Amino acid sequence: MRETIRYGFILAVICIVASGLLAGMNSLTKSRIIAQAQTEEEAALREVMPFGEYFDPIKKGEDIIYYKVRNKDGKFIGVAFKASGKGYSSVIDTLVGMTEDGTIVAIKILNQNETPGLGARVAESSFRGQFSDKNIQGLANVQAITGATISSKAVIDSVQEKAKEIQKLIKDEK
Amino acid sequence: MKKYFYEFLKGIIKENPTFVLVLGLCPTLAVSVSVINGIGMGIAATFVLLGSNVIISLIKNIIPARIRIPCFIVVIATFVTITEMTMKAYSPALNRALGIYVPLIVVNCIVLGRAEAYAQRQTVLKSLFDGLGMGVGFTLALILISGIREALGSGKFLGYTLTPRYEPAFVLGLPSGALLVIGLLLGFFNVLKNRKE
Repeated sequence: MRETIRYGFILAVICIVASGLLAGMNSLTKSRIIAQAQTEEEAALREVMPFGEYFDPIKKGEDIIYYKVRNKDGKFIGVAFKASGKGYSSVIDTLVGMTEDGTIVAIKILNQNETPGLGARVAESSFRGQFSDKNIQGLANVQAITGATISSKAVIDSVQEKAKEIQKLIKDEK
Repeated sequence: MKKYFYEFLKGIIKENPTFVLVLGLCPTLAVSVSVINGIGMGIAATFVLLGSNVIISLIKNIIPARIRIPCFIVVIATFVTITEMTMKAYSPALNRALGIYVPLIVVNCIVLGRAEAYAQRQTVLKSLFDGLGMGVGFTLALILISGIREALGSGKFLGYTLTPRYEPAFVLGLPSGALLVIGLLLGFFNVLKNRKE
């Protein structure tokens, strides 16, 4: 019995020290981690909207629905938004840059866990490059990757669907 | 000096964590699709092994034998989480390259295996070399497996196309291909070992 208490005590001390260290570390790094995540997001946004200078998040509650993009003269040039679609083995998150008339500037795959060598190739420029300068109505002629129809379709459909949604939102606003 | 060198070297061939101790196969299956993944996982695991081996061997005297496993797990998980936080906050480039592997290492049984089998009864310096050797051995094994899988499964090496005329065998890129390659390599190394004896 006394042994059990002793063991419990030692384990408790180790756990308290560990949580103390973690709590200290968390408060030290928290603000920096958030700042890093923001710079990363901004870099991704710049990639899909290369002429954008200001990215204003349009929020609904806490969630960002899309970004209004302005160039360095402050002129509104388009939007950037995230689209996600269920692929073959994962949810594929895509960041899309689009002009007001519905022409896609560029897309970037943010997250995917598709089959390597097949579905994972959606992140390669030979696939995602096809989206550039296409109107969202004309996405049907994006060539799917051989052997990865489901992953390709997931990207095409999710981008198209979300783009239409965002376009409607912008129209309603006007 | 010589005995430290031995502690380092044994992890690479004689007690290779993947092919001889057969530990940590789960992350091995998962990341050995491409060589760059293998190298990333290997480096991250080496760093964690080094740290956890040193810490465990430092505090080995205050941990009672009968509750050592939960103590090891707490220590290793804390160390890994602190490393992850530091990396995220101060080195985003490193985090982009290794970030996805670090949480996987918490469940890598090589780390717990070395704490249990080695660091809890050895000196700090010896444990440090053991951790380093095991990490390098793990990295080399990952490079070997992922090299075979990437070359035959997608016709590439480190992302560069080897020969455009080769039609890749996609099965090697899938989990079943990983099991196949690891199994064949394990058999191959066993044959070599038996020959030597």
